[in-house]
Amino acid sequence: MLFNSFSFLGFLAVLVIAFYASPHRSRWMLLLAASFLNYALFRVEYVLLLLAVTLVGYIGALAIGRVDEARSTTRRRRLMFSVVLVLGLLFVNKYADFTIDSVNAILGRTALPRLDLAVAAGLSFYAFSCVSYLVNVFRGRLEAVGHFGKFALYIAFFPKLLAGPIERARPFLSQLESPLRFDAPRVTGGLQLVLWGLFKKVVIADRLAPLVDAAYRSPAFASPADLLLATYFFAFQLYCDFSGYSDIAIGTSRMLGVDLLENFRRPYLSTSVREFWSERWHISLSAWFRDYLYIPLGGSRVSVWRAHLNVLIVFLVSGLWHGANWTFVVWGGLNGLYQVGGGALSRLRGGMGRRPHKARPGRLVGILVTFHLVLVTWVFFRASSLGDAITVISRVGAAGGSLPRLLVARLYDPAVQLVVALICILLIVEAFDDLQSMWARLDARPIYVRWAAYYALLAMLLVLGNWNLTQFVYMQF
Amino acid sequence: MAAIRNITEGRHFLTRALVFAAIGVLPYGALYAWSERLVWRHAQTNKFFLVKSAPPTQYDYVILGASHAAALGYQDMTPRLEALTQKKIVNLALVGGGVRVSRLIFEYFLTRHRTEGVVYVIDSFAFYARTWNEDRLQDTRLFLRAPFDLSLARELLSDPSTRSVGVDVLTGFSKINNKDRFASDVSPEESTRFNRSYRPVQQIDDQRLTYLYAQPIDQAVFARYMAEFEDFLRDVQSRGIRVLVVKPPIPERIVRWIPGEQEFDGRLKELLARLDIPLHDFTHAGNDEKLFYDTDHLNKDGVVNFFQAALAPLLAQ
Repeated sequence: MLFNSFSFLGFLAVLVIAFYASPHRSRWMLLLAASFLNYALFRVEYVLLLLAVTLVGYIGALAIGRVDEARSTTRRRRLMFSVVLVLGLLFVNKYADFTIDSVNAILGRTALPRLDLAVAAGLSFYAFSCVSYLVNVFRGRLEAVGHFGKFALYIAFFPKLLAGPIERARPFLSQLESPLRFDAPRVTGGLQLVLWGLFKKVVIADRLAPLVDAAYRSPAFASPADLLLATYFFAFQLYCDFSGYSDIAIGTSRMLGVDLLENFRRPYLSTSVREFWSERWHISLSAWFRDYLYIPLGGSRVSVWRAHLNVLIVFLVSGLWHGANWTFVVWGGLNGLYQVGGGALSRLRGGMGRRPHKARPGRLVGILVTFHLVLVTWVFFRASSLGDAITVISRVGAAGGSLPRLLVARLYDPAVQLVVALICILLIVEAFDDLQSMWARLDARPIYVRWAAYYALLAMLLVLGNWNLTQFVYMQF
Repeated sequence: MAAIRNITEGRHFLTRALVFAAIGVLPYGALYAWSERLVWRHAQTNKFFLVKSAPPTQYDYVILGASHAAALGYQDMTPRLEALTQKKIVNLALVGGGVRVSRLIFEYFLTRHRTEGVVYVIDSFAFYARTWNEDRLQDTRLFLRAPFDLSLARELLSDPSTRSVGVDVLTGFSKINNKDRFASDVSPEESTRFNRSYRPVQQIDDQRLTYLYAQPIDQAVFARYMAEFEDFLRDVQSRGIRVLVVKPPIPERIVRWIPGEQEFDGRLKELLARLDIPLHDFTHAGNDEKLFYDTDHLNKDGVVNFFQAALAPLLAQ
């Protein structure tokens, strides 16, 4: 069931009531059954993959935990074996055909046949959750979980299963243990997030999607103005789609007694690419790469050049994690280069005794520059091939000075006017939210103001929402 | 103690949620009323709208069928046919509408109007797949411009296969959510393409035929829709309504390619013979390629020609 379907909303309502009506000791069973049911509804075969990853994680962690010596080779071997198994499943399911195609392209003939496997929804996310659990057990930060059902729930918990946040085991499992009575503010808070997430997804992202698709379907035939506009729109489509998903996931989970990690923090208000990645965009994935790849590679406690290389490696792997396509590799590489360049620049500024600007004009310039740097990378993220991405950039670049005039002309289209207005609403809300949480502001208001705001959001969902069950972009990763 | 507090707080929350929903009925109702108003303002060609908006009338003929029949009602074609025949006619054919769809719109028509006769224009593809029957009825777009009518909602709710769309019609959700709410419902086929002549392109012909006639033909599905068609015609006859079954003109190059058409014709003739209904087959009449606006639909000149040469004399009898 997709989060943006009425069947899911009905399912959620029933589940929340059943959750609070059932005794604490059996709630995990209810959530586990709901999670497997939800996943099986996408495709029953996926459940086998989910079970395989769960079994490897469960048995692997127990095996690691049985070896007491922290630095034992056996313990390390067991970790490596388990991680290779989990990532092996991910590799075969997601990257086998990409590798086969690349090998065939290099050899210039079909030396290897394609497997044509359907990529399992959410595999990248729950495989990474499993790896983080195994590594944390290995590092001694967490005891191996003996209760298979609760561990299975950690991996399969439906709000986070398909597109994160990539949750760590300790906070998740500890929340499962603490008894929870019905808490109206908790449920209300969850509903607020679900409502806002739905607004971002069905009102903004899914209204932007057709405009983006139309231009990116055949970039060679689209006008430069349309390509530029589509690229701007894609930045907001992707953000609203993915952060909308995260909001619904976090809201749903909150209603069911589990607080998940925050995944987005108004990313387009970042004043540097570093801030964008480390503090504001897909935070749970960035943290995962930091803890389980960047730091093991040596992090920043190595020579400057090695640290730069580490950053580049992390971003290239992050690119590949997003999809088996060279466009994602270039996307990751570009972001890595931004990080390296940004690091070098800040060292230079530090050497010259200049501090990062806090004044508003400087901050605004920082936000605009960062947004446009990220925007260039989104071209590679969205384009179907490297050729298409280069076509987009070269056509927009060639149009040069005539673009502002052409863009203004496009604003006469009512569909464009509407989405621009929606983006403006989003940015205004986010700018205020950055100063103080909009939910905290709203909660401090009288009930008639709060309810009026909810009715307004619901009315926008009804009138402007696209309820054609469009998949979430990040579910394909 | 905690359990009691749990229940009390839960009840309190539930009460507030119910009050929220109850108050929410007001803005929802306002949106519904606004959407309904837009339906009345912008609907022009929706067949449910035509039935609802016309005062109760005694017609001579109702034209039913799928897209080939729908083209016979584009622009001012129905008034022209009325002028040629001196009969009161309404075209209720729906694009992609198989026998199930035709039956629904006809039964809805009979809740407000009467007719002496029915002209059923045959499209063989509509007898081969769910797509043109159950699935088409589940397409909420069919009812986007259908004015609110409890009898239509009841009709849809009474059939399990159309229950979800019945709920949609009743709640008006798709109408409120209609992104083309301010636009007229005249299709591009009717507004522009109908006036043009089509220059055949092999690739487009192939695509169209593959789209309409999925191979191999599922004989069980075909038999089921034939049986439903027979049942529908019997029902119409039992109401004392005259039935005419017509096959419209189709370009020769398409006729040759339609799979299983001879077998279809044979089965259709058998069925109609049982009901004592003649088949008026105009497949090869007035089917010059320049009389079509796409692969197989008559354009304006084609329809006028068809009316003058074939349909009008038949209806005038």
